[in-house]
Amino acid sequence: METIPDTSGYMIAGFVVSFLTMGLYVLSIYLRNKNLNQDLETLLSLETEQTKKK
Amino acid sequence: MQSKPIALTILDIVSIIVLGIASYLALVFAPTEAVMGDVQRVFYFHIGTAWVGLVGFVLAAVSGIAYLITKDMRWDRFEVAAVEVSTMFFFITIVLGSIWARPAWNTWWTWDPRLTTAAVTELIYIAYFMLRQGIEDPDKRARFGAVYALLGGLSAPITFMVIRLFRTIHPVVIGNQSAEAQGGFSMTPDMRTAFFFALFAFTIIFIDMMWHRIRLGGLQEKVEQLKLNVSI
Amino acid sequence: MTDTTKTTSLEKQPMEYRPSFFKATMAIVQKDLSAEFRSRELLSAMLVFSMLVILIFNFALELDIKVRQSVTAGVLWTTFAFAGTLGLNRSMAVEKDRGCMDGLLLAPVDRSAIFFGKAISNLAFMLIVEAIVLPLYALLYNEVRIFQPSFLGVILLGSIGYIAVGTLLSAMSVQTRTRDVLLPILLFPVAVPVLLASVKASGGLLNNATFAEILVPLNLLIVYDVIFIAVAFMVFDFVVEE
Repeated sequence: METIPDTSGYMIAGFVVSFLTMGLYVLSIYLRNKNLNQDLETLLSLETEQTKKK
Repeated sequence: MQSKPIALTILDIVSIIVLGIASYLALVFAPTEAVMGDVQRVFYFHIGTAWVGLVGFVLAAVSGIAYLITKDMRWDRFEVAAVEVSTMFFFITIVLGSIWARPAWNTWWTWDPRLTTAAVTELIYIAYFMLRQGIEDPDKRARFGAVYALLGGLSAPITFMVIRLFRTIHPVVIGNQSAEAQGGFSMTPDMRTAFFFALFAFTIIFIDMMWHRIRLGGLQEKVEQLKLNVSI
Repeated sequence: MTDTTKTTSLEKQPMEYRPSFFKATMAIVQKDLSAEFRSRELLSAMLVFSMLVILIFNFALELDIKVRQSVTAGVLWTTFAFAGTLGLNRSMAVEKDRGCMDGLLLAPVDRSAIFFGKAISNLAFMLIVEAIVLPLYALLYNEVRIFQPSFLGVILLGSIGYIAVGTLLSAMSVQTRTRDVLLPILLFPVAVPVLLASVKASGGLLNNATFAEILVPLNLLIVYDVIFIAVAFMVFDFVVEE
C-alpha cells in the first residue's frame, strides 16, 4: 500500500481561510450595524432639536 | 430602534452549533481520504459554501424580478443581502478549491469550467456592488441592481456550458462519473454524513447571515431617509 | 400650410397618435446613423483603436504563422469587444449629455423602440468596424479563410448578442457616477459566454473543424442572443424610467 500523502498543511490553511472570511464578514455586519445605530441616534436628536426650534 | 427578535437570537446560536458540528464531522469524524490525505477534508466546506453561494445567486435573480414587478423595497433589501452573503461564501469556495487543487492537480488554479464559472460569477457580483455604489437615488439603485442581478443569473449557466466545451479536470463527485477526471474519489458512508451535514449547516448559517444583512439594509434605509428629513 | 390646418390635423389625431413600432425604431436608427456619418467621431475612434489593438497584439503575441493558427479568432474577438465598448459608451453618453435621452423618452413611442433603435445603430457601427478590420487583418496576415460565409455568420451572431447586452448596460452605466469606467466592468463578465462561444465557433471554422464540432458553440450563441435580446427588451423600460 502506498502511504497517504501528508497534506494537513493545506487542510489547516483551508479551514483558517473559511473561518477567517466568515468571521470578518460577521464583524463587518456588526460594525456597520453599530455605526448605523450611532448615525440614527444623532439624526434623531437633530430632528428633535429642529422641531423644538420651530 | 427595533430590538432583535428572539427567533434570530435562537438562529444565531443554532448556526454556531451546527458550524461546530460540521467542523467536527469534517475534521475528526470523516475518515482520511486515501489518495489525497487530509486536504480532502476541506471538501465538505467547499461544497457547503458553493451550495449556498449558488442558492443565493438564484435567489438574487428571482428577487430582482420580484422587485421589478412589485417595486417593493423589501425585495431590494433581500436581493442585496443574497448577493453579498453569497459573494462572501463563493469567495471561500474559490479559495478552498484552489487550496485543494494545489496538492491534487499540482497547480493553484486551472481554467476548468466550474472554477472559471465561479470566478466569472464572483466578478459579476463585484461589478454589481460597483454599479450600486455609483448611484445615489435609492429607487434607481434598486432598479439597476435588479436588472443586473437578473442578467448575471442568466449568463452564469451559459458561461458554464460554454466553458465546458473547452476542457475539464474538475472531479464529478456526485453521480457515477467520478473516475472520469483526476482528483475524484468515492465517498464512504461516514463521508456522506459529513457531506450532507455540511450542506445543512451552511444552509442554516446562510439563512442567519441573510437575516442579519436584511435587517442591516432596513436600518440603512431608515438612516438615509432620516438624513433627508433632517437636512430639509 | 397655415397654423389652423396644423391644429386641426393634431385634433384629428389627439394624444393617442403613435408611430408604429417599426417606424419609431427606424427613425432612431436613421438619426444615429446620419449624425454619425456627418461627424464620424465614433467610427474613426473605434477604427483607430482596433488598429492599435491589433498592432499591439502583433508584437505582444509575435503573431507568426504557427501562433496565428490558434489565436486569430481570439485576437479578432478581443479587438471587437474593446472597440465595441468604446462605441457603446460614446453612443449612449452622447444621448445623455446633450439631453437627447430625455427628448427620446418624452416622444410618444414605445420605450423598447428606443432600445431597438439604439441597439441597431450600435450594431451597425460595430459591423462597419468589423467590415474594415477583417479585410485588413486578412491582408496583413494573409488569412483568406476569414471570408467564408459561416465565419462571417458567427461574427454577426456574436456581435448581435454583445450589442444587445451592451446597449442595455451602457444605458445603465451612463447614469452612474463612475460611468466611463463602469461599462466594461459590467459588460465583460456578463458577455463572457457570447465572447467565448464566438471564439470557439470562429476558431473552429478557421481550423477546418467539421460542422458538427462547431454546432454546440453555435447553438449556445443563438440561445444567448435570443435570451438576452428578449430580456433586454423587457427590462429596458426600468433602466430609462425616471
